[in-house]
Amino acid sequence: MRSRTGVPADTVWQQLTEHAASLQDIHLAQMFADQPDRFARLSRRAGPLLLDLSKQRLDGRTLDLLGKLADSRDLRGWINRLFAGEPINHTEQRAAMHWALRVPAPQPSPVQQQVQEQLDRMSRLVERIHARQWRGVTGEVITDVVNIGVGGSDLGPMMVCRALEDASDERAVRTHFVSSMDGSQVSGLLRRLRPHSTLFIISSKSFTTIDTLYNAGTARAWLQRTLGDDPAVTGCHFIGVSSATDKMDQWGIPRPNQLALWDWVGGRFSLWSAIGLPIALRLGMQGFRDLLAGAHQMDEHFRSAPWRDNVPVLMALTGVWNTNILGIHAHAVLPYDGRLKYLPAFLSQLEMESNGKSVTRDGEPVATGTCPVLWGEVGPNAQHAFYQLLHQGTEPVTCDFIAPARRYHEGRHDAAAAELLAQHELALANCFAQSRLLAFGEAALPPGDQLPMHMRYHGNQPSSTLLLDELGPFALGALLAAYEHKVFAQAVIWQINPFDQWGVEMGKRIATETLELIKRGTAGGDMDSSTNGLIDAVAGAVDRRRSFRG
Amino acid sequence: MHLDIYGDTLTALVTAATLSSTGHQVTLRVPAGQVADDLDAGRMPYQEPGLEAMLDQQQQAGRLLAGSADEMPGDRVEAVFLALSPAALPFAESVIDQLALRREHSWLVVNQSNFPVGTTESLQQRLRDGADAGVDRAVIVMPEMLQEGAALQSFMRPSSILVGCDSDWAEVHIREILRPFNRLRDVMRLLRPREAEFTKLAINGMLATRLGFMNDMASLADALQVDIEQVRMGMGADPRIGEAYLYPGCGFGGLNFSRNVMSLADTLESSGVGSELLEQVLLINERQKEVLFRKLWQHYRTDLHGKTVTLWGAAFKPGTGRIDNAPALKLLDALWAQGVTVRVHDPKALPTLRAHYGERADLLLCDDPYEAARGADALMLVTEWKDYWSPDYPRLRSLMAQPLLLDGRNILDPDFVRSSGFVYYGIGRQ
Repeated sequence: MRSRTGVPADTVWQQLTEHAASLQDIHLAQMFADQPDRFARLSRRAGPLLLDLSKQRLDGRTLDLLGKLADSRDLRGWINRLFAGEPINHTEQRAAMHWALRVPAPQPSPVQQQVQEQLDRMSRLVERIHARQWRGVTGEVITDVVNIGVGGSDLGPMMVCRALEDASDERAVRTHFVSSMDGSQVSGLLRRLRPHSTLFIISSKSFTTIDTLYNAGTARAWLQRTLGDDPAVTGCHFIGVSSATDKMDQWGIPRPNQLALWDWVGGRFSLWSAIGLPIALRLGMQGFRDLLAGAHQMDEHFRSAPWRDNVPVLMALTGVWNTNILGIHAHAVLPYDGRLKYLPAFLSQLEMESNGKSVTRDGEPVATGTCPVLWGEVGPNAQHAFYQLLHQGTEPVTCDFIAPARRYHEGRHDAAAAELLAQHELALANCFAQSRLLAFGEAALPPGDQLPMHMRYHGNQPSSTLLLDELGPFALGALLAAYEHKVFAQAVIWQINPFDQWGVEMGKRIATETLELIKRGTAGGDMDSSTNGLIDAVAGAVDRRRSFRG
Repeated sequence: MHLDIYGDTLTALVTAATLSSTGHQVTLRVPAGQVADDLDAGRMPYQEPGLEAMLDQQQQAGRLLAGSADEMPGDRVEAVFLALSPAALPFAESVIDQLALRREHSWLVVNQSNFPVGTTESLQQRLRDGADAGVDRAVIVMPEMLQEGAALQSFMRPSSILVGCDSDWAEVHIREILRPFNRLRDVMRLLRPREAEFTKLAINGMLATRLGFMNDMASLADALQVDIEQVRMGMGADPRIGEAYLYPGCGFGGLNFSRNVMSLADTLESSGVGSELLEQVLLINERQKEVLFRKLWQHYRTDLHGKTVTLWGAAFKPGTGRIDNAPALKLLDALWAQGVTVRVHDPKALPTLRAHYGERADLLLCDDPYEAARGADALMLVTEWKDYWSPDYPRLRSLMAQPLLLDGRNILDPDFVRSSGFVYYGIGRQ
């Protein structure tokens, strides 16, 4: 079995390992004591983003060596291939051109023309809905839009809509998100909505995603029960976002209600495309374009900045250092802003679906560990949940603390501004205090009596802090693009393909087989004993209910 | 007494005519706008029986003068009336501020405008700011209760006069000014200013609620295949309900029913007080303004692109050229958004429409109602001008591309329209 911390025998890895050994006994508190200007040396800015690496267990030489590692893996060449649109998603023979979705108009290339054409179509739909002129089949104005999607077609738009709710367009309609396969979200939501004034967005790159199509079918049946089964019901109440025009046609979505995306956009990288329609509906097109502009600025930074100043590359290399050299295999994402509630879930998908791989581009088992386990929660709430483990548990965890520097400085919050500003300052204080305590341990506390063992803080837990100027469309675009490029840069170091997800395909296939057995009411001994037993237990529960009812 | 009246409403003109007729020396100051233009051109802006004659008479007698709204009253003036439109609150405030500057002058200001509840008190506060000690100043409110069509009578022989006033000095003066109209018995009801304003709001709210309720009933009647006209007459026959304001239609407009009038003043609103029912009534009314569009949309099975639709009537009510909050505005937006060309006839509102929208290819303004119907895929009757009560159906039939008639005011007979070869939709009609 592969050792997760085991590193290849090439020189850079060896140098990094030796270097780590030389730092091993130096506590983070000591590093700060030895180097008074540590923050100045180990923090970087890119546009609206400040990255503070000073609480990582590394020094200037670490960054130099990590830069050499990046060179030895030809990171520069891979970045060029990414931005040249080469088919670097080799298992699917596709390019990965999410960056092309945020190149500002006008650009002459055919891809850019397609992108702008879809943005224009999106813009027209958004304008019509915002002007209260999108009509249901009875002529009523649409007041509620429900996005039906899953994974990238759900998490990204939902996360951004929540994060930027303060930047809502004043004409915005209510937006809702439905994803879960079991129908619990959709049924709860439909009880509160009126069919006459509800519009659904079916968001599925392939338009074959079973979760989404079942939810869409439930929605259509709900509409038809009230509005009849005229094809105009589908025509007036559904928008489709997909790369499969023919499948949208078959489902009955008229061409003017279709928005396109392309093979070269991965699901978890797709919020910048028409998949982001709910975002545009929330923010207005200008807000959506600001989001794209922030991401584009980060694209340019990623392409051009030297490794030592390159924020996404530094995020990637720090992660490699922690995972492969220091042997830390858990990573927590901790936003100190309730609006970023869904960011940890979004980043879990982005990082783990991209880099949760164990085979290199050459089809060989990887020599190193890859993506750590990643999870998270809004920081102040997590303080009352799993921070105990961060401070005193046996498993080391690295953390990303994320916070906006400014909030509540605009007129829109005027009535309660003073109280809310105080709350924001309290959240920031907690953010900085927690990362300090994790790094310094008891050294962060005022000198005094010796604490009993169970009250001690060992510290020396590495973390990064990402400080945004403020949480607006532009800054969020930059932050998300930084994580996307971090993921790509790590994949280059680990020599894996971050753009496929074969690990999620097989489960869908065998579920189809299992579904038939559940419908049949018995496994009939066709499966393994666990599956047989579970299917039979379900059938037994159904039978018992029938007999109770007589 | 010397009285100055600022305003361009029907109330302003009626107040000027009737008070001068009893011997007061009145200066009428009409702010710039459509009404002022009409008066300057010798046109009567309101079709009110007897009003024009009375105004002429008083002018000839020298008791009624026309003054500029930009000028302030002379020193002999004892009371100033404000009979402004709801949108003219800033103007009212500027008049008050200029009066207030004359520190040694006593002022009685009578507010007859439909401003939000609480406005009169805040105007009084402004007027009293900086006045010399011992100078009497008050702003009182006299909500207009005119019955259009019998406006002079209802002002001079009122069944009640509502006055909101919290000053004894002001009460003495308003009683003296109105004495000729309050002789037989004392019908003046004195309340606090905000109570008087609130009464007016409650009256408007009740009327709007009745209309909203009837529109709601009409939608149900559509669904249940019941003729709302039969229901309306049955309801109206019940003396507890009465016949007024029971006519369903394609929504009411006008300034008196606008959101800002139907709400409390900002000072009160920040306390979180608001009427849920009135909010709903106004929302339902906004929806109702699109009812003809929805019927058209369903008739043509959600595809209106390239169609031509005729509107008969754009004014918010017959007799006026005004389009404030008129259903026609919402219909135009809805139709244009679907790529429809609209041809409009209205006896008075075409200049206002032209000024509001400017030149556009999908809007044709026609001076003749039949010319407006030429080539149309539907005719929508939006304002119940007398001109539209008895159309020449064969002529319409031959001019229109499709014989489709949507009657937003239920003024036509469905059976007769249908027997004339039309498809007919009313509001809750069978």
